[in-house]
Amino acid sequence: MPNNLLLGKEQLFSRRQLLKLGICGAGVAGTAALWHTLNAQSKSIVKVPPLAIAATSQTTNPMQMLRNFDYGVVKQENGRTVREFQLTAGTSVIQLNSAVSYNVWDLNGRIPGPTLRAKQGERVRILFLNKAGHSHSLHFHGVHPAEMDGIRPVSNGSAAIYEFDAEPYGVHLYHCHIAPVTRHIAKGLYGMFIIDPPTPRPPADEMVLVMAGYDVNDDSHNEYYAFNGLPHHFMDNPIPIYQNQLIRLYVLNIIEYDPAVTFHLHANFFDVYRSGMTMTPSEKTDVITMGVAERHILEFAFRYPGKYMFHPHQDAIAENGCMGQFEVIADKSSQPPRKTS
Amino acid sequence: MKKFKYFCLTIATAAIVSLSACNNTPTAENPSAPATTSPSTAQVTEATTHSGHGGKAKININTAILSELDKFEAKLGVPALSNKIQASRPYASPEDLVTKKVITQEQFDQIKDQVTVQEVVLTGETKDVDYMTKLGLMKGHLLVAQELLDKNLPKQAEPHIGHPVEEIYVDVEDQLNERKVKEFKTTLVSLQDLVKSNPKNAKVKTDFTASVESVDGAIAVLPEAQRTKPGFVLQVINGLLDAANSEYGAAIADGKIAAAIEYQDSRGFVVYADDLYKSISSQVAQSSPDANKAIEASFSDLVKVWPSAVPPAKPVKTPVEVTQLIKTIEQNSQKIIDKSSTKAQR
Repeated sequence: MPNNLLLGKEQLFSRRQLLKLGICGAGVAGTAALWHTLNAQSKSIVKVPPLAIAATSQTTNPMQMLRNFDYGVVKQENGRTVREFQLTAGTSVIQLNSAVSYNVWDLNGRIPGPTLRAKQGERVRILFLNKAGHSHSLHFHGVHPAEMDGIRPVSNGSAAIYEFDAEPYGVHLYHCHIAPVTRHIAKGLYGMFIIDPPTPRPPADEMVLVMAGYDVNDDSHNEYYAFNGLPHHFMDNPIPIYQNQLIRLYVLNIIEYDPAVTFHLHANFFDVYRSGMTMTPSEKTDVITMGVAERHILEFAFRYPGKYMFHPHQDAIAENGCMGQFEVIADKSSQPPRKTS
Repeated sequence: MKKFKYFCLTIATAAIVSLSACNNTPTAENPSAPATTSPSTAQVTEATTHSGHGGKAKININTAILSELDKFEAKLGVPALSNKIQASRPYASPEDLVTKKVITQEQFDQIKDQVTVQEVVLTGETKDVDYMTKLGLMKGHLLVAQELLDKNLPKQAEPHIGHPVEEIYVDVEDQLNERKVKEFKTTLVSLQDLVKSNPKNAKVKTDFTASVESVDGAIAVLPEAQRTKPGFVLQVINGLLDAANSEYGAAIADGKIAAAIEYQDSRGFVVYADDLYKSISSQVAQSSPDANKAIEASFSDLVKVWPSAVPPAKPVKTPVEVTQLIKTIEQNSQKIIDKSSTKAQR
C-alpha cells in the first residue's frame, strides 16, 4: 500500500492559502472553477455547462445528484485529518412517473444517498442515525476492521459510528446490510463512496451515475429502473456537457434482482478504470458489463455536438427507465483534448 | 471560529464540482488556527475508537433510551432535555452536545464525565428495557405473522417471521446468552424455511407455537416485579411505539397504504404495546389517573388505525395523526417513568 500521508506540509499549506484566496475572491460557484484550475496546476480548465436545476424538496433530483459530492466536515485530531460524515436513514415517497409512487428508505432525505468523498489515507468517520423504523446498518466497501463492517443491526432511533481509514482509493459504495439485503438496498439504502488517489486524477467534468431498480409490488422483480433515482429523467432532461471536454463518469450498478447489466454509450468509446482502482485504463469499449455492486470510472470526450444516449444494453431495462442522454454543446474555442477517441 | 465553520459547511454543501485534489476541501481549517475540538482532542479520539470503555458507567448519547438520558435532565434541571438530546442525534463526540447547541459549555462541564459516544455495556434497568423492547419487537412481528397465517396468507406472513431473526436477534444475542436463555434462532429460521417452502404443512402450527413460546420464555427471565412495574413497561411501550410510528410512515404513499409489510409491522408493535399497557393500566390509574386517562384514550384511537392484518383500502389516519397519538402517549408516560426512575436512583 503506497503511503500517501507524506504530502509535504508546505504543499498542504500553500494549497490552503490558495483555497482561502479562492473563497474570498469568488462566490461559491466561482470557487469550484478556480479550484479546478488550481488543482490542475496547468492551463487546462474544466468546462462545465451551467445547470438549471429546479429547486425542489423532492427525495430524488437526478440532475442535482449528478455533480454533487459530500466532502464531509474535516477535523484535525492528533495530527490526522478526520473526515466526518452524517447519514440519517428516513422514510419517504418518490414519484416514479405520473401514475406510480413508491415508498423508499432514504439517506439524508435523498435516494441514492449522498456521494461521500474522501482521500486515501484520511480517517473517515460516519455517524449513522436510523430513523426509518426497521433495523438498518451501513456497510462500506473498502478495507477496515471487522467491527466497522456495518453488518450489526442499528435499531430504530439509535445511532452508530463507523470509523476507519480511507483505503484503497477507488469507486466504492455503501449500503444497508440488514437481511433481506435485496429489499433494504432496493428500497434506497445505498450510495457511492469515492476515495480519491494520492495523486489527483487529471481535471475533468466529473459526474455520478447510479443505476438502480424498483420492485414496486414486492415480487422480487424490478418494474422500473433509473439513473440517479428517477426513471427516464436524463432522457427528458439531457445532461449538458461541452464538446471535447474530458468527462469522468463514476458509474455504479446497484440494480438488485437482475444479475448483471451493461453500460453502453452511443457514438463514442470510453476508457475503463476498473473499480476506479487504477490510474491507467484497462480497456477502451462502448459497452461494459457490470454485475450487482460493480462500479467503474469511465472517461471520454465527445467530438461532435448533439444528443447521445447512454443506457444498459439490456434494452428492456433501458425501456423501463434506465436511459439517459448527453447533450454535447459546441465549443468553438476548444481544442480536441489529449484523449481523443 | 464557529462562524468560519458554518461558512465552510455552507461551501461544502454547495454542489461543488470538484475534482481530483480533494486532499483539502474548502472545509480544511487554517493550520494556524486552533482546531475546533482542541481542548479535548485526545478525549475525542479515544471516545470514538470503540476500544472498550472506562471503568465508570457512562451513557451513550447516541443510543441511550429516554429514561437513561433523564439522568442528565435531572442533574442539569433542563426540562425536556432527554428528548432534545435524542432529537439532535447522531453525535460524533460528547462535545457535540455543545456544538449542536443542545446544552451550554457550562452545562456540559457538569456532565461530561458521564457522556460517551462509544458502545457502552448496558447495566441495570436500561439493559432490561433494551432487552425487553427488542423481544417486544419480535413479539409484534410474530403476532401479525400469526394473524396472516390464520388468514391463510403464508406469503405475507413469511417476512414477519423473518424479521425477528434478520433485524433483531443478532442485536440481542449476547444478552440472551448472558441471561441463559436457550437459543431460538434455529427455531425461527426453520419456521421461516417451512412457511416459505411448505406453508400447508401441519408442522407450521407446532413450530409457530414453539417460536412464540421461545420469545415469551426470553421475556419471562426478567423478574416479574420488573415486568409489571409501570415505569419500566412504559419505557418498553415507548420503544415499540416509536418503531411503529416510523413503520407506519413508511407504509403510506399518496394517501394509500402502499407497503403492506410496514403497515403490518406497525400493527404488530402497536397491538403488543396495547397489550402491555393493559397489564399495567390499573396501577397507572391509581398513581396517575390523568396520565392513565390520556394514554388509554390515545391507545383506543391508535389501535383503530390497524383494523386488520390486511391493510384497509384507505388509511384510517394519516401518519401525522398517528405521530400525534404516539406523542401523547409518550409525554404522559414520561411523567410516570420520571417518577419511578428518580425513586430508583435515590
